[in-house]
Amino acid sequence: MSILEYHVLLALAGGPLYGYAIKEAVANESAGTVTPRAGSLYRVIARLTTAGLVVESDPADEPPPHPGHARRYYTLTAAGRRTLAGEAARLKRTAAVAQKRLGVVQGRT
Amino acid sequence: MKRFFRLLVRLFPRAFREQFETEMLDHVREEYGRARSQGWIAATGFGVATTVNLIRSAIAERWNPTWTRAAVRSPEEKDMTSFFDNWARDLRHAARSLARAPGFTLVSALTLGLAIGVNAGMFSIVSRVLLNPLPFANPEQLVAISASAPGSDFPPEFGVSREFYLQYQESKLIENITTFNSFTSTLRVDDRVERVRMSQPTNSMYSTLRVSPIIGRIPVPEDENRVAVISHALWSTWFGSDSSVIGKSYEMSGSQRTIIGIMGPEFRFPDAETVLWMSDVIRADNIQVGRFGDRLIARVVPGTTPDALARELTTLASRLPDRFGGSPNYKRLIGQHRAVVRSAEDQVLGAVARPLWVLLAAVSVVLVIACANVANLFMVRAEGRQRDLAVRRAIGAARRELVRLQLAESLVVAALAGALAIFLAYVSLPAFLRAAPPRIPRLVDVHIDASTVLFTIVAALVAALACGIVPAVRASSPDLTRLREGGRGATRGRRWLRDGLVGAQTALALVLLIGSGLLIKSFWGLRHVNPGYDTRDIMTFQIAPDGPNLADGPAFARFHMDFMERIRALPGVQSVGVVENVPLNEATALGPFRSEEMSADPDAGKRLRYTFAAGDYFSAMGIRVLSGRPFPPRDLQATQGTVVISRSAAAQLWPGRDAVGRRVQMQGQTAWATVIGVVEDVKQNDYREAPQSVVYFPLVVTGNPDWTVASPEYVVKTPRAETIAPEIRALVKEVAPNAPMYRIFTLERLASDSMVQLSFTMLTLGILSALALVLGAIGLYGVLSYVVAERTREIGVRMALGARADQVRRMVVAQGARVVAGGVVVGVVVALWSTKILGSLLFGVAPLDLLTFLAMSGSMVAVGLLAAYLPARRASRVDPIDSLRSE
Repeated sequence: MSILEYHVLLALAGGPLYGYAIKEAVANESAGTVTPRAGSLYRVIARLTTAGLVVESDPADEPPPHPGHARRYYTLTAAGRRTLAGEAARLKRTAAVAQKRLGVVQGRT
Repeated sequence: MKRFFRLLVRLFPRAFREQFETEMLDHVREEYGRARSQGWIAATGFGVATTVNLIRSAIAERWNPTWTRAAVRSPEEKDMTSFFDNWARDLRHAARSLARAPGFTLVSALTLGLAIGVNAGMFSIVSRVLLNPLPFANPEQLVAISASAPGSDFPPEFGVSREFYLQYQESKLIENITTFNSFTSTLRVDDRVERVRMSQPTNSMYSTLRVSPIIGRIPVPEDENRVAVISHALWSTWFGSDSSVIGKSYEMSGSQRTIIGIMGPEFRFPDAETVLWMSDVIRADNIQVGRFGDRLIARVVPGTTPDALARELTTLASRLPDRFGGSPNYKRLIGQHRAVVRSAEDQVLGAVARPLWVLLAAVSVVLVIACANVANLFMVRAEGRQRDLAVRRAIGAARRELVRLQLAESLVVAALAGALAIFLAYVSLPAFLRAAPPRIPRLVDVHIDASTVLFTIVAALVAALACGIVPAVRASSPDLTRLREGGRGATRGRRWLRDGLVGAQTALALVLLIGSGLLIKSFWGLRHVNPGYDTRDIMTFQIAPDGPNLADGPAFARFHMDFMERIRALPGVQSVGVVENVPLNEATALGPFRSEEMSADPDAGKRLRYTFAAGDYFSAMGIRVLSGRPFPPRDLQATQGTVVISRSAAAQLWPGRDAVGRRVQMQGQTAWATVIGVVEDVKQNDYREAPQSVVYFPLVVTGNPDWTVASPEYVVKTPRAETIAPEIRALVKEVAPNAPMYRIFTLERLASDSMVQLSFTMLTLGILSALALVLGAIGLYGVLSYVVAERTREIGVRMALGARADQVRRMVVAQGARVVAGGVVVGVVVALWSTKILGSLLFGVAPLDLLTFLAMSGSMVAVGLLAAYLPARRASRVDPIDSLRSE
């Protein structure tokens, strides 16, 4: 799973979002380190949808910004939720390993 | 901006866009709005980054789709992306289905590849040599000027004299003009002494051609004739590309000259062999009026037509005697003079243009034949897929989709063929160029370049269209009766097209065959011309001895008489002679002669060729002595005051009477000389020309110091003509260590060189027509094989009903014969009209030679019948039981 895929899943875990909102959430949650451009973002959304991790949904509460033109909202599927949880756990473990090793190295120097 | 991003989003595959296009555009618009509120730098940065990202993502999406849900496509889709998608899909499909038919793919790609390859090679030659023969700026402004004098005894066209150069400078239509010559003379650089090709142009050559040296400067009037500019080739070979050569002096053509400049490697003028250009200044006070033979090149005012210039120059030239004087003869000649102006490109191309155009026409014909052949293969293939196509049509495929599917296959084949063609052209062009006749301008510059590759791509596309469109259009309206179980559609109505293609191939192949037949006959005729001398077992060379002991005529002659004696002593040498100009190697000079019986009036004499000979020249060359005797080989003194003349010279000077013992004089220039022998005429320059009337003077005419021959050519008759050169070189070293020995040839080689233009064209056209013949035969064979396969059942029924094998064979062969006969008739008609373009290449055979037409039509029919017989034999072996059971 790429970093962008992880962040998109992470953003959608808070509830349905549309494309631009996903980008904003990804940028915020990665502290500005991941700022996808439109092409890359929608390819990731497409891939996650094809893989069954993300699905199109109704908006949570927001009204459509333009009359007569509904935005597409995306949300996590159950599989998406599981995958995100699994990836988060993996990241946590590896982060712990990394901190431990770096601690040892720092201790020596 | 919005429109721009919309265009970019179009790059994504259709399925992806259907899902995400609106979203992406909204997204981009929103981002763009924010970026703009942060100032134009942020907006620009955003624009660039987003553009790059969209393009990259679109390519990635096409390469490796993330959105796989198939979209429903309407068959009448008009938008560009689906056009691209559909083609991509069809090309992939075509590539897969061609991969499943490797035999078909291989044969069609090879056929087309070979044909496109020869076209690509020929194109690279033609584009350089014919379309762009002069590597100078604005070549269309350059004209070559010569002279003609209708009604005079001068040749139909001849070089001008130097006063013309001065006079023509008055022309209002000429921007710049130069006169130049071209000759071989001695170049001495330290110990290295060789005879090289030189030219002595006026200093205006550089401005006329708009060229300048890469190092150094061009000559100025103050240089007089004391400097020279050298070629890049001479600079890199003789001087090791050392630029300190500028300012050094060397002996060139007998005088010391300082090198002041080095030309670039692409400058070859007037021919590729010329390695140095000596400065020259022409003034009214240093020229001799009426010494014709120099060449003129002028740069004209843009828009000047050759005719207008010729008229102006003729008028200007008519005032020459007023300005420069001259003899009464000269004045009469100027009265008859008409300037001849032609474009410099025509001038340099001269005779080489025609064979190249002929070959270009021939390779295009081969390409057409190859396309017809491959089209036929495709059609047969499409016939085999009628059922498949009918199903597609029945379930709603649009016609254009079926056409596209078929065209995709021919595009794939053409792409393979194009790649093969470039490879073939790349490996075969050097060999082709080596075999090409010498003196084709710019041939050394020919190579496979970007324009060749572009040509190949275009040719491949055109070929794809040509051989794909007919089967494609036919496949687009498949016969729906094929859907019936075991149904066989009516194919009879469609056969005419295939037959027509085979007939056309036959016709075109026959045109090429007749063309090459005519050339073969010309070549055979040329090989059997009697030139008046032998070519076997004769070697020829020149030496250029110099030194104080060779200062006068007798000393010079003694040197050569002695040297001939030494060569004669070599083992295997039968006879040795010298002559000023060996036939096929150099041209003889022209001069006015009169017999004692003629009046002294300058108009009464005859213009005859003359040269100088000594030793056993006539017996060494095998020139027959018709009456009298040749020069005594060893006694120079006895030759004084005598001449030997050729048969037609005798006939002109003393019509109907014996010439031996009578006296002749070169008008106003020599003493009277007695004719001691009459010999056979010779063809001096070329086997095609009429034999020349020649007067042979002895090697040295004593008492006339001007009449020594600068460097006579030796003629050695020996069975060891190919190998004797080193021994002679050793002898030269003994008697004249500094004398270069050069222009070493066997007469046989000179003879074959003189025919190389014809033999090269003949060989190439022969190969091409053989290719065409084979392709035509394969086409016929393929079609008949298919017809036989298709009619197996019918043939089985016939045989079951009692038809004999030979009747079946006759039936199939007759079908092929009809096609071939039609092709032959059309081919003969086309050939009647087109063999004219061979024109001057032909020798001793008319463009409409009946025998060649009959023989070639006969061989075409024979090959056609053979190609028809093989499927016919297969047809006659059909087992009725099997064939009926098979369906």
